Amino acid sequence: MSGRGRAWGWVAALRAGATTPWLDWPADGSGEGAALAAELPGAQQLALLRRLNAHAAASGRTVPAATAERVLAAGVSGRGRSELALVGVAEAGESGQFGPRPVDPDALADDELLRVASALIADDIAAVAAVPRPAPGIVDRVRAVRRPWVRSFVVVGMPWRADAVRADLTAQGHRPGGRRPTAYLLADDLETVLVQAWTARSFDQGGASWRGFVRANAGAGHLPPRADLARMARSAAYKYGAERVRVVLDDRLMAEELGVHRLGGPPRLGVHAVDLVRRVGEPLGLLVPSADRPQLLRDTLGTRLDGLGGPAPTLPPRWDAWLSTQAERTRHDLAAARYPVLGDLDRLLPRPLGEQAGSVAPVDAEVLALALGLLLDPVTVPARVKAKERS
Amino acid sequence: MSRRVLLHVGTPKTGTSYLQDVLYKNRNRLLKDGILYPADRFDAHFLAALDLMRLRWGGLEAEAVGAWEKLAAEVRAHDGTAIISHEIFASASRSQVARALAALGHQPGGDTSNGGTEIHLVLSVRDLVRQIPAEWQENVKHRARFGYGRFLELIQDPERAHRVGAWFWGVQEIPDILDRWGADIPPERIHLVTVPPSGGSPDLLWDRFSTTFGLDGLDLKLTTRRANPSLGVPESALIRRINRVAARDLPPQHYRPLVRELLAHRTLSKRTKSARLGLPPDQYPWVHELTESWIAELSRRGYHVVGDLEDLRGAPAPSGKWVDPDHPPERQVAAAAVEAIKALLLDNAEAHAENDRLRRKLEDARRELVRARTPRLMRSMEWTVQKLEGSGKGRQALDVYRKARKRAPR
Repeated sequence: MSGRGRAWGWVAALRAGATTPWLDWPADGSGEGAALAAELPGAQQLALLRRLNAHAAASGRTVPAATAERVLAAGVSGRGRSELALVGVAEAGESGQFGPRPVDPDALADDELLRVASALIADDIAAVAAVPRPAPGIVDRVRAVRRPWVRSFVVVGMPWRADAVRADLTAQGHRPGGRRPTAYLLADDLETVLVQAWTARSFDQGGASWRGFVRANAGAGHLPPRADLARMARSAAYKYGAERVRVVLDDRLMAEELGVHRLGGPPRLGVHAVDLVRRVGEPLGLLVPSADRPQLLRDTLGTRLDGLGGPAPTLPPRWDAWLSTQAERTRHDLAAARYPVLGDLDRLLPRPLGEQAGSVAPVDAEVLALALGLLLDPVTVPARVKAKERS
Repeated sequence: MSRRVLLHVGTPKTGTSYLQDVLYKNRNRLLKDGILYPADRFDAHFLAALDLMRLRWGGLEAEAVGAWEKLAAEVRAHDGTAIISHEIFASASRSQVARALAALGHQPGGDTSNGGTEIHLVLSVRDLVRQIPAEWQENVKHRARFGYGRFLELIQDPERAHRVGAWFWGVQEIPDILDRWGADIPPERIHLVTVPPSGGSPDLLWDRFSTTFGLDGLDLKLTTRRANPSLGVPESALIRRINRVAARDLPPQHYRPLVRELLAHRTLSKRTKSARLGLPPDQYPWVHELTESWIAELSRRGYHVVGDLEDLRGAPAPSGKWVDPDHPPERQVAAAAVEAIKALLLDNAEAHAENDRLRRKLEDARRELVRARTPRLMRSMEWTVQKLEGSGKGRQALDVYRKARKRAPR
């Protein structure tokens, strides 16, 4: 019986949709197979394919052969261990004494599998980027022209939400801009503002996990720039004049002032979904120009993961005091500057503790479940682009 | 298609910066001799490595998009010998190695009979006795906040589960690097260049590189140096303390020039009288045991060795007192800190002076702009007044305007 032959037999079975763990694979010679390449795939890739098979089987589907091939040939993104060898494969007499220890693929942490999955999803998104965006149609171009009768305004504040509000208002014929505009500063309770700052950062740069992001800022005693509403208000006052800055804590009132039905908003991504975006953003940063990455992620994962990924993250209880202090300071700064407020400034303050049900943070298993869904049904070129190409 | 590629994949801290600097500065001279060192910036091969391995590196990766394919295309287009060199290639996985070799025209088994490229793998290696402290120091110069003791724990974790241990062995475990990179390359085309022990001729390492890369007899300028200078114990401890309090607030684009370049390389590395960083005495046994197993394995594989595998043994444990960077002599750290403050003050003063110079320049430019615009404005105002005064209604309009401004006609 050969350890390598047994491993190749398991690889062949996984390619055909098997979900048997490596340690349960027959060792009596009945599970052996022929070598399909010079080297066995890494343990991370094999573990990911087994999990993908199980994910597909749970919904009565099978993993397409091409997808299975992609998974087995994928690289491992980021720093850490590269492809690991399977335990029990080295033959007697083979050195096997150098390099990382062989592992049981099923004992690998979900984080290791996510390093492979993220690289594959990044490849799919980069393929979308390679398709040229269609030129805006006549309707879009007409909409983009500012109406002279629409009052001049700009939208500032929480970046993740502000981008979506600008886009939605433009779609309603209210393009931000104009002479001497009113600056609407979108605000919310500080925890929500922090979550949105992390979400915007995950789309723009990737990088820090939720806990790392909170620890880096709260530990240093300051708010991140994207969540510092008082600073954003000062910046808007400097640019547009303090008398033209409005703090928005009630969307309905701003919509009434602008004469629109709604303000719109960004896709609602849960904590696990944002964490997946953050992870995919890293390998994607090496596939597309960094200036294109945020919009590309919004167009693909932002749309696909809307409404998925669990609840929004919450701050660990140890930072409650810090959050309250920062919220009080923000409220004080905005009130002292006497900016007109649409809504109630007290909404900036954290919600009462009774409303929060413990701390919510990304869980690797949940993030991996989302990633498996994206491997099974990869992001593709948007339908409108395909239609345009056909015409 | 390049007929021959010399692919230098590591390891770090083996004089690679100096070699790469010589190759970069002499790339035009080399080309005249048919040797291509394809680089339009000094870190072109580093960016290519980041791209090949999809590595994030403090934001630099944004400049690396497509860098590997560009480098490989230049090598493929060259008719002659090409050299590629960067030490972080050492950490490439098997699949990344396969992609890299294929992009350079490698055929299975190194077959060159049907136009395949003759790839020579070069690995420069140094003893672990020096590499272990050097790698911790390199981590410290890249924002790390963990102590030396913690680093030693991480690299001895047999699972290599932490990224620090995984990276260290990924770029330092010589037999494994050669398993990944050299699995499909004939052993006679794999060249191990050993770094001589401390205290030998300073030119010996260069001579070994020169021989390996076929540079002997070429008229190269060797005067330039891009050395990667080392720090002593108190200086390393100081940088680590700075990292603990300031690294989070300093984005990479500011950390690099201020902490790594100004403080570590240009200021603190000049303090050469402080205790040097070394391996703790209790770590020598396992390091020596591991080294012996490497030497035996490498001897068995039959690679071309430039130098001597005995160089990998490293020096024995020194008899003098070992100075722990996690508990450094505080007076020396304070002295290093004062020098660091002085360097920062001087740098800040220089930046202020440069700001003042630019502000004056901007003010001059603004004044010139106003001067350049004023005559046209004045001419248009005079023309308007003349036209208005030429007619009755125009004069009435001017009167109204002047009364409104309460100004008498000139």
